[in-house]
Amino acid sequence: MGANTENTIEKNSRTNIGSIIRSNTVVMLFVLAGVIVIFTAINPSFLTTQNIINILNASVIIGLLSIGQTFLIIAGHIDLSCGSIAALSGAIMAYIMRETGIAWPTAFLLAFLFAVLVGIINAVLVNVFELQPFIATLAMMSVCKGATYLLCEGKAIQIADKAFLKISAISLAYIPLPVIIMVVMFLVFGFILARTVFGRMVYMIGGNVSAARLAGIKPKRVSTILYIISAGASAVAGALYCSRMFSALPGAASGAEFDAITAVVLGGVAFIGGKGNMAGCFVGLIIIQFFSNGLVLSNMDAFWQVIAKGLLLIAALVFDFVRRKRFESRL
Amino acid sequence: MEQQYVEFKGIGKRFIGVRALHDVSFRANGGEVTALLGENGAGKSTLLKILSGAYTADEGVYEINGAEKHFATTQEAIADGVSIIYQERQLVKELTVAENIFMNMLPSNRLGVIDYAAANAEAQRIIDIFRLPIRSTDRVKELSVAHQQMVEIMKAVRRESNIIAFDEPTASLSETEINTLFSVIGHLRDEGKVILYVSHRLKELFQITDKIVVMKDGALVDTLKTSDASEKELIRLMVGRDIGDIFHHLDRAASFGGPVLEVRNISNDNISDISFTLHKGEVLGISGLVGAGRSEIVRAIFGADKLQRGEILIDGKPVKIGSPADAIRAGIGLCPEDRKDEGLVLENPIRTNISIATLGLVSKMGVIDTKMERDMSLKAIAAYNIKTHSAEKQVIELSGGNQQKVILGRWIGADLKVLILDEPTKGIDVGAKSEIYNMIIGLAKSGLGVIFISSELPEVLNICDNIIVVKEGRVSGTLAREDASEEKVLTLAM
Ligand SMILES: Nc1ncnc2c1ncn2[C@@H]1O[C@H](COP(=O)(O)OP(=O)(O)OP(=O)(O)O)[C@@H](O)[C@H]1O
Ligand SMILES: [Mg+2]
Repeated sequence: MGANTENTIEKNSRTNIGSIIRSNTVVMLFVLAGVIVIFTAINPSFLTTQNIINILNASVIIGLLSIGQTFLIIAGHIDLSCGSIAALSGAIMAYIMRETGIAWPTAFLLAFLFAVLVGIINAVLVNVFELQPFIATLAMMSVCKGATYLLCEGKAIQIADKAFLKISAISLAYIPLPVIIMVVMFLVFGFILARTVFGRMVYMIGGNVSAARLAGIKPKRVSTILYIISAGASAVAGALYCSRMFSALPGAASGAEFDAITAVVLGGVAFIGGKGNMAGCFVGLIIIQFFSNGLVLSNMDAFWQVIAKGLLLIAALVFDFVRRKRFESRL
Repeated sequence: MEQQYVEFKGIGKRFIGVRALHDVSFRANGGEVTALLGENGAGKSTLLKILSGAYTADEGVYEINGAEKHFATTQEAIADGVSIIYQERQLVKELTVAENIFMNMLPSNRLGVIDYAAANAEAQRIIDIFRLPIRSTDRVKELSVAHQQMVEIMKAVRRESNIIAFDEPTASLSETEINTLFSVIGHLRDEGKVILYVSHRLKELFQITDKIVVMKDGALVDTLKTSDASEKELIRLMVGRDIGDIFHHLDRAASFGGPVLEVRNISNDNISDISFTLHKGEVLGISGLVGAGRSEIVRAIFGADKLQRGEILIDGKPVKIGSPADAIRAGIGLCPEDRKDEGLVLENPIRTNISIATLGLVSKMGVIDTKMERDMSLKAIAAYNIKTHSAEKQVIELSGGNQQKVILGRWIGADLKVLILDEPTKGIDVGAKSEIYNMIIGLAKSGLGVIFISSELPEVLNICDNIIVVKEGRVSGTLAREDASEEKVLTLAM
């Protein structure tokens, strides 16, 4: 092979047009544009700075959950318990604060550690007892939900710590602190996924777990870390939720895992693993939030909104399927 | 019955960055076995995929018995009597042999209830034609790679297709199984079926084919009668140059260094009491029938399968290997046999499949250096002559032989003490094979210990300094290069 061809191969490897065409983040940006145009046409107040900030603020909980789901789904796993872990850790935090009166950082740390423990249990169920991730975390979801109701005794636990309540009220340059926290977490975890050895391992175990193992990657260790990340991010989400609501609610973040997974799949993360990225997930998140907000502004009945969201998830999954089929038929 | 035939007329096909086929025309007759021969990436599989409806041709047409066909799906092609046995197996591993042989055609009664007894009996009848030691109720995942391959062939036999194409069917079969396969192919040929046959093993072409179609870079070079062809001429046609006697130019090390890998009485469910010593600079072959435990031995050493007993020493010191990660840390590298299931992350670019086992070499403090990673993959592409237009090409889009080269490329730049190659030349063309032999000998010369597994006996006899023969999970004999012969190895293996 001459030096000439080698140079062409190098040049082609740099530009890498194929992967840009293949990635569907671009497609999703068009979908997003479509959503914006339609809802702005229905209600002009949709596209105002204030409304956009409101939308971003409302997406924080789901956004934080979707970070963990992006990692897990790319690795071929899933965590259905993330929403209820958020609710439970929020309740634990509020409970500790009410019972002991300690300041929020300590209470948060304890709740966070508890969430990590739940993440480890999820990982043990999946890796040691070899349960399907879907089943194991579905069971965990139920356990955490029940525990939250027990802890709250069915009522809200009020929070008195002023410093804590302020967190969700502070804005920097008009941008609420929770939004900043979310964006920073997206950037940090996006970097980890895209650029680090750990992130690469996530893709490899999701793409072909046996091949990854034979190449020296430890799939169980990687997925254990992912369940912990998911649970930890859920604890942060739970705390922000409490700060916003001035209390821990037994039904907090219910169904949030559903929205998070919808965002991830909309963002082009393949459900069978190995494919996707954090930017796509963020776009998916924005689409689903714009969509829900648009429905509210269009005065659509709340129950119809639930149906519409379900349809959106179906559409995302069908899209995922069609993309795969097209890819396979080319081979 | 009228004579069956397939005729290709001016077939052309492009993919992003490559022209896979260009103006390919020839005719394959019933009652004959027509071989397709060409280097890795020459376009053989692509042509078969066009015939099978998996791809559509950009240019040209093909005719079956004079009627022009345009299969849009593989189902259409199957309905018209075309079956392709692909290089990569298309089996559902969780299902039984019978279920795979029948797939969606399982016999059922009027209520749609599947008649498993009938299906199993019919599948067993086909298995018995092949004289295979498997049962129709076995699960495919429990079968050896070779037997899985045979299940694939039995699927086509069951469909009673008139046109059957074999894409490297013998790549993972051993001598005896190849003979069974050839008797079945001979049988199908005598029934007047059109047989297309792709293989990189020239010897086989002389055994089983009547006509040879030689391709290079997507174009047809020549069509010759097998009886008029010589091995040398075929190689010249497909490679474009004379490569000489591939085994005689090998420049091997004069002597070995000290022991680098000592294996003492290792056992698990598949192997018992395996012991041997590998020296620096030595190429050690492991031979035996498919399923005798060759792969299982190296998997155990590499930590892929659990060890129940025994000890492994590297450079004279005992090491504990509980996982492939431990083995790699100890300086052992493995190129696994099964590229689809265990070797590659198919829907990923060449780049990430090259760096997968040595991410530490292309990263700093856990962050991957994109340029270093790209350079590593470009180096492997050049060293192994992987046919691609870019390091970003998805591995699934490479030809079979080029996928195999990607697996070999993964240890480029790694600092290994022991390299284990499990069927490294599977699906590799003659020219590239000699390059791989040179690479193996070169690595050994530089002080590595190499373990080499291959179903091709001539390869083992010529490359290896010592050969361990295994049978039913035990070592049945050890032969030095000077004393080894095909007969001796086979006697120990049987
Ligand atoms: N789906 C695809 N997308 C892009 N390129 C492809 C695709 N399928 C095949 N190719 C390219 O077409 C060329 C011919 O490939 P093909 O698989 O037909 O080779 P082959 O002759 O069967 O080689 P081998 O002996 O290695 O099996 C190769 O360069 C390959 O990379
Ligand atoms: Mg091929």
